[in-house]
Amino acid sequence: MINGKRHSVEAPDAMPLLWALRDLLDLNGTKYGCGKGLCGACTVHVNGEAVRSCVTPISSLEDKEITTIEGADGNTLLKTVQQAWYDEDVPQCGYCQSGQIMNAAAFLSNNQNPDDDAINTAMNGNLCRCGTYVRVRKAIRNAAKKINGEQALEN
Amino acid sequence: MERRNFFRITSLAGGGLLLGAYLPFSCKSNDDGVVDWEPNFFIRIGSDNTITFICSQSELGQGTSTGLAMVAADELGVSMDKLKLEFGPGSSERYGYLQDTGGSNGLRMVWQSLREAMATTRGILVQAAAQKWNVTPQECYCKDGHIHRRGLDEKLPFGAVLDIASTLQAPREIQLKEPSEFKYIGKPIKGVKTKWATTGTKPYSINIKLPDMVYAAIERCPVWGGELVSFDGSKAMEIPGVIDVMEVEPTELQQEDYRGGVRPGVAILATNTWAAFEGKKALEIQWEMGKNGLKSNEDIRKELEADYKTKSEVVADLYDAKKLFPRGRKYVSSSYDSPFQVNACMEPLNATAYHQGHKLEIWAGTQAPKLTRERVAELTGLPEAAIKVNNQPSGGGFGRRFFCDYVEEAVILSEKLRKPVKVTWTREDTFLTSKYHPLCKDYWEAALDTNNFPISIRYRGSIGRPGAYRCYPYSIPFMSHGYLKYKEGRLLPRASWRSVFAHPWGLGMECFIDELAHNAGGDPIQFRLDVLRNAEVQEQIQWPWVGSDLYPKKLYNTLEQVREKSSWGRLDGGIIFQGVSAICYNGSYCSMVADISVQDGKIKVHKFTAVIDCGLAINPSQVKAQIEGSIMWGLTALLKQPITVKEGVVQESNYDSYDLLRMQEAPDVEVYVVESQDTPSGTGEVGVPGVAPAVLNALFAATGKRIRQLPVTEELLMV
Repeated sequence: MINGKRHSVEAPDAMPLLWALRDLLDLNGTKYGCGKGLCGACTVHVNGEAVRSCVTPISSLEDKEITTIEGADGNTLLKTVQQAWYDEDVPQCGYCQSGQIMNAAAFLSNNQNPDDDAINTAMNGNLCRCGTYVRVRKAIRNAAKKINGEQALEN
Repeated sequence: MERRNFFRITSLAGGGLLLGAYLPFSCKSNDDGVVDWEPNFFIRIGSDNTITFICSQSELGQGTSTGLAMVAADELGVSMDKLKLEFGPGSSERYGYLQDTGGSNGLRMVWQSLREAMATTRGILVQAAAQKWNVTPQECYCKDGHIHRRGLDEKLPFGAVLDIASTLQAPREIQLKEPSEFKYIGKPIKGVKTKWATTGTKPYSINIKLPDMVYAAIERCPVWGGELVSFDGSKAMEIPGVIDVMEVEPTELQQEDYRGGVRPGVAILATNTWAAFEGKKALEIQWEMGKNGLKSNEDIRKELEADYKTKSEVVADLYDAKKLFPRGRKYVSSSYDSPFQVNACMEPLNATAYHQGHKLEIWAGTQAPKLTRERVAELTGLPEAAIKVNNQPSGGGFGRRFFCDYVEEAVILSEKLRKPVKVTWTREDTFLTSKYHPLCKDYWEAALDTNNFPISIRYRGSIGRPGAYRCYPYSIPFMSHGYLKYKEGRLLPRASWRSVFAHPWGLGMECFIDELAHNAGGDPIQFRLDVLRNAEVQEQIQWPWVGSDLYPKKLYNTLEQVREKSSWGRLDGGIIFQGVSAICYNGSYCSMVADISVQDGKIKVHKFTAVIDCGLAINPSQVKAQIEGSIMWGLTALLKQPITVKEGVVQESNYDSYDLLRMQEAPDVEVYVVESQDTPSGTGEVGVPGVAPAVLNALFAATGKRIRQLPVTEELLMV
């Protein structure tokens, strides 16, 4: 299941999810950055957890729920994070930002009231060559505020 | 406002180019029955009121597409959120020499032409509506994509007057808007590219997929100057998805080194990117490594050191430095080392080419679409008119994408296959077999008077004519020699790297000035202010396209402001120490203060405060973003492992060995933008060269130690 839709691909078992998404399913929001799980540009969610799709073979994903940046519209938390990214004008070249957003959303689903230390630790594995870190930090703080606000309203 | 500069840019950028584009264009009908009017090469207006800004410059993340769209929206009278974005193809017919994006020139090169083009378009639309209403043009104005009648509640969308507009001659007189009429310019506006990037829909060239397209990856010779001896692709052919294996013949590096320099290689052609990458790993290749196969980066450094000992001519002399230098009572000298670096753009280099024999189309994120088209014409023998370069937004450029070798590779393969071919570099390729910021060695010397005040400075290093770059702002007399040379050519091919030579230049100048301030017993900021106060304006004579004249007063102002904003000298005795730097580059001025501490033998950078003067800041949010990013860039070069070479082979192969600054290391950043109505200048690079010196000068304040080489390692701190 990818973004709520069932997909099947014909490909070698060892093919990383990243390339199945990009070359076979035309879901280009997920990016190739390093191919070794070092930079985070390819981050997606598998059953809600942040996963590096460049080192995740498709054979390990049968019956798993995969969410990519294209699935943000069906995912309130992800949408909130995405909006915060827009509001803070975070992206420069933007290439790492799908991965940053996916990682931040997974992090915020487990920690809704993070301090800067927690944000820094959680995001330390997502590299950005343009150097957008200051705004990433701000966007996560703002997304957390919004999420907490929404929950307070619901209660 | 510097009138002289203003007019110079105007006359350079406007004129013939625009008038040529203003022959009345007839309307063109597209498939949906919508009629498009393209009165010039920057804008397309549809009869359905779709308005598309066609960005001539490259979008690398620096935000030029947003800045220019704001200029277009303001001058034409359209809402930013209604303005669609497209990129113009590489074309000297359309954009003259204004198009290629380098040296932080994106806005600077085109903003005036764009304003004139939009003001003219507005003039035609107003005339058309006036004709329709049978009133005078003075009774009409443009706003929000409509022509309005003054004082009346009557309006027409642009799309409704195209039938008339397309028959009109452009007005002879155009009226540019006054700054007070700007709705967007000067405000932190988000453009299309921000929307694209947050939704994962930015159309990078790495996403290109065409019918019948072949995916390629290339194993390149690991040593620059080496040759292919033989290869065996049989194991690669066994990998599912691999279609073919073939040689890639090198192209010679041209005098103008943006062109050529494709390394000898072996290409894997496959049905998907991953298969191509896997195939590459299975290749068996024999290379002849050549002379560079015996050399390391240390050998190259020694070649520069040896050249320093040879005699050389003074090539620039300011304020009689040459005459004054021998009159010193005392001399001080320092040398500064900066290593090879790589751009490491997050989007690996890639390009797609489709050679159909009589015509050729290219899709690439490039900083130089015009130059690429010229180069591909040269390479294939096709006329430029048969070559279309679709310029996609890039996942980072930083200078590397000004060089067209990676496009040439796709062209070479597609010429053989006569199919669309996409060549994607693996991350390892982008580190191991790319083009690089050169290793530099810079020598600074000063003659001091009896009060230890410098009376003359001599420079010899990586820049040939600092006078031509106008990067020396101070009133201390200054001279420079021709640049240092290698004994036998380059160990690694050169690429531009964010701020190019301004980086080693800034390192040397701003650390050395700090040393001179200390020797003279002055406060580092006050000393700089004193030697800026009476410095003369330096006229730009050699390369008008790299920027305007140098105004020491502007740098002075940024320094004064940063002293205030950073609480310079007012931090009360804690563990934080401060260092300063002041840089001018390509018409912009930036002073910064670094707040650091040294704990357990490690530098911690807590905060940067920066003040930038870039003329009129079209979009202050993006100006600040460029300085924030430049600080992270500079800190990576200061603190992280650079590119090293052993036996001709680069040793850093991925982000584990060539690490970038990370979130936990990213300091807080405060950027202040000077209010100015002067011609906008660049912001992508001026923030880089001052970063390392600000931290190193703070390190001196903290420890009394002068470190004069990059990167700063723990060992260096311990000595």
